[in-house]
Amino acid sequence: MELPEILFNPLVRGIIGICLMSAIFLGAMAAVWFERKLSADIQQRYGPMRTGPHGLLQLVADAIKLFTKEDIIPKNADRLLFVAAPIMMMGSVFLVLVAIPFGAIIINGNTYPIAATEMDISILYIEAVSAISIIGIFMVAYSSNNKYSLLGAFRNFARMIGYEVPLGISIVSVAIMAGSLNIVEIAQAQHPLWFVFKQPIGFIVFFIALMADMGRLPFDQNESEEELIAGWITEYTGMRFGLGFFAEYIHLILGSMLVVLLFLGGWNLPAVLTSNTILGIILPTVFFLLKVILVMLFIIMLRWAVPRFRIDQVVDISWKKLLPLALLNLGWVIALGLLGV
Amino acid sequence: MSGIIDISNIIYSYIPVAIILVVALMMPPLTMFLVKSLSPRSKAAAKYDTYEAGSVPIGDARIQFNVEYYLYAIAFVLFDIEVLFLYPWAMIFQGHGITEIATVEMLVFIFVVLFGYVYLLKKEALKWQ
Repeated sequence: MELPEILFNPLVRGIIGICLMSAIFLGAMAAVWFERKLSADIQQRYGPMRTGPHGLLQLVADAIKLFTKEDIIPKNADRLLFVAAPIMMMGSVFLVLVAIPFGAIIINGNTYPIAATEMDISILYIEAVSAISIIGIFMVAYSSNNKYSLLGAFRNFARMIGYEVPLGISIVSVAIMAGSLNIVEIAQAQHPLWFVFKQPIGFIVFFIALMADMGRLPFDQNESEEELIAGWITEYTGMRFGLGFFAEYIHLILGSMLVVLLFLGGWNLPAVLTSNTILGIILPTVFFLLKVILVMLFIIMLRWAVPRFRIDQVVDISWKKLLPLALLNLGWVIALGLLGV
Repeated sequence: MSGIIDISNIIYSYIPVAIILVVALMMPPLTMFLVKSLSPRSKAAAKYDTYEAGSVPIGDARIQFNVEYYLYAIAFVLFDIEVLFLYPWAMIFQGHGITEIATVEMLVFIFVVLFGYVYLLKKEALKWQ
């Protein structure tokens, strides 16, 4: 069975991309519910319980609330930047989404990734466009004319600047090992052995840097509720806040996908399992998404296990620990490559 | 990875990017339009004040960056460009018959940058004040 040619038409791929956009919106809503329930569980609370079974409809209620809240722009705010900032953040996460495959269909041993597009340099592209989100965060903070927001944004800058470099070097190490910058080929290259076993240091560096990139605890210095109110997003209310909030959760899901694609083997399964057509269509994607959920679970649990770092500690970790470790990992990968392993 | 690159393929792979970008940029304004038509509106002057910490904010919040951020920014530019140079090398690392020579050249490059890194550390330029 061959896939029809029309599926490779760029316009059709664009429509697939829009479907993936809606899917990730639902996914982000589910992730918010998941995080609230899990956090409650860790703190021995119930979390949302009253809306639907186990609070499943809580997110619908929240969405209705956000949609019917008045849109307030503070009078001291820079109106243009204030309005443009959520657009910037949404644009950034959705540009990342374009290049990330959400799984794959394997038919007769051929792999067709479920993605809006397949580029030769997708990993470089992802790194480039995900860096745009920091501009969105700074626009939020600068436009709101709020001292605490601006403090949060400054810390955000210092953090992102530090973690972009180890992130880049560990991605290069992966690219060397896979011999490609195409994220699909990188996932395929991990067929017998996942990269997390081939370069464990690289995985640790990448994971920590990614946590910082996503602004998750222990790296949420831009928010740090205890000292900066709500950090960079304090002045935002209603749906404008909702957009920024959702952008962060979409970032979380996409980041977890990136971890699975680059280090945890993507959708690769033993060939026996995917030889059957129906299994080949279903299993790889299910397997992939299962791993993504596990990574998210880990990230959320880490939130309640590790206290937030001080900003000077954060900067020190990136420049004095992660950067040398990333270079060490690069040396390890070069050595493996020269030995032909 | 053949020598000949098909330009039309590259352009095709970016058409979905353009489509998604347009949709993504349109989404927040559309959402806000929906909010405007659904939400109540009232004009109370206090509502439009800056919230900040709950009390009336003193002075303007837009201050200049502390100069120490620039040190980090310069170091960042230095190392990020280094990483950019690593990408093309990563692509030719295997299967092009020039692995050894390319690696030696890249190691020399990395050591030069590492020298700068050690210098930064010794100067305590990367120390948060």
